[in-house]
Amino acid sequence: MRVLLFLGIALMLVGVAWALLAAPTELFQGAPQRIMYVHVPSVVTAYVALLVVFAGSVLFLWRRDPRWDRLARSAAELGVLFISMTLLSGAIWGKAVWGAWWTWDARLTTTLILWFIYIGYLMVRAWAPGARGARAAAIIGIVGVLDIPIIHWSAILLRTLHPQPTVFRVDGPALPPTMLVPLVINMVAFLVVLTALLVLRVRQERTLDALAEALEGGA
Amino acid sequence: MRVVRLLVGKDLRLEWRGREIVSAMGLLALLLAIVLGATRSGPEAAPAAMWVTYAFGATLGFTRTFTLERDHLTALLLAPLDRGLIFAAKALTNWLGLVVVQVISLPLFGALFTETIWTRLPALAIPMLLGGVGLAAVGTLFGGLIVQARLREALLPILMLPVVLPLVIAAVGATTGILDGLPLWAIGAQLQLLLVFDIIFVTASFLLFEYVVEE
Repeated sequence: MRVLLFLGIALMLVGVAWALLAAPTELFQGAPQRIMYVHVPSVVTAYVALLVVFAGSVLFLWRRDPRWDRLARSAAELGVLFISMTLLSGAIWGKAVWGAWWTWDARLTTTLILWFIYIGYLMVRAWAPGARGARAAAIIGIVGVLDIPIIHWSAILLRTLHPQPTVFRVDGPALPPTMLVPLVINMVAFLVVLTALLVLRVRQERTLDALAEALEGGA
Repeated sequence: MRVVRLLVGKDLRLEWRGREIVSAMGLLALLLAIVLGATRSGPEAAPAAMWVTYAFGATLGFTRTFTLERDHLTALLLAPLDRGLIFAAKALTNWLGLVVVQVISLPLFGALFTETIWTRLPALAIPMLLGGVGLAAVGTLFGGLIVQARLREALLPILMLPVVLPLVIAAVGATTGILDGLPLWAIGAQLQLLLVFDIIFVTASFLLFEYVVEE
């Protein structure tokens, strides 16, 4: 686990240094475009974390093994963390390039609403402890992922009803290799850090559960 | 079917005697219509005001879904019934409550926002029914989830509103189109989204409900 964390941080340093020093400056957007090297890995990592919440929730309801619940809970916390990073870095990038912190684009809307859904997940964990809370949270973890395509679809409808000025954006797959390499390094680094933090958090939760059980048994 | 009818009948009878939930939801809806109308009452504000009102009315009423059963939930669960049927009965009761709220607040929207509402009633019924079903499905599932949570009156809107946002967006879009006099095919995409939302969340809630009420 510690190895993973160090590996992730080392990769991240390489990726960030590459992105800041070696990667070429984008022609139209200039320096702010370098936010991409943090923004895109954050969002990919966030969605991976949400899929882990979904898988952990389904397995928990099916198998009733508290291990899956601990996995889902830990992944939800990290999911909220990475969604927050995505929204913040995106807002800064948007302000620099589009001139607006926010626009009701389908992807932006979906990510923001997911942030609220998983904050709700964490609130249920805080306000409804025990087995009932765990089951309630698992259902929210499943419903949240089911909602992703519908939110995206509705946000596209929203945009067609209220047309926005066409915003300039660089589209992913058309990246030149000089930009793609540091991006991929950072993406791997973020995912490794996610894994490391997830393992760490699951271990903490396991200790916490064991402690609670021991205290209950002793009382 | 008979079981669902019995359960719905029981809840409706209880509600008819007390009239607590519908009067609270209805009063909130009327107040919201007035507050929204006092701040911005042009015809273009009507669809958004209507759906904000319905969504908040729903979150207020649906918190009470299971408080009615506070002491009898175990009895209900001991009955040899499929848990999905309990969900169906509760969702149906909630939906009927929401329909009452939609109907009684309509004259106010007509008076404060736009009289076009009266000429477009049959078409307006479509998004109102489709949207109401989705709100009832999600609200009943989440209402059941949080019966034993602390601060459940605060928790239900926090959980429910983000999940139903796509429904609200599509319903407001459809209502806007209808009030602007567009033919139904022009708002096909919005109605389609409402229908898909209903199918997904009615099915998912029906299947997941078993895990909600289990002790």
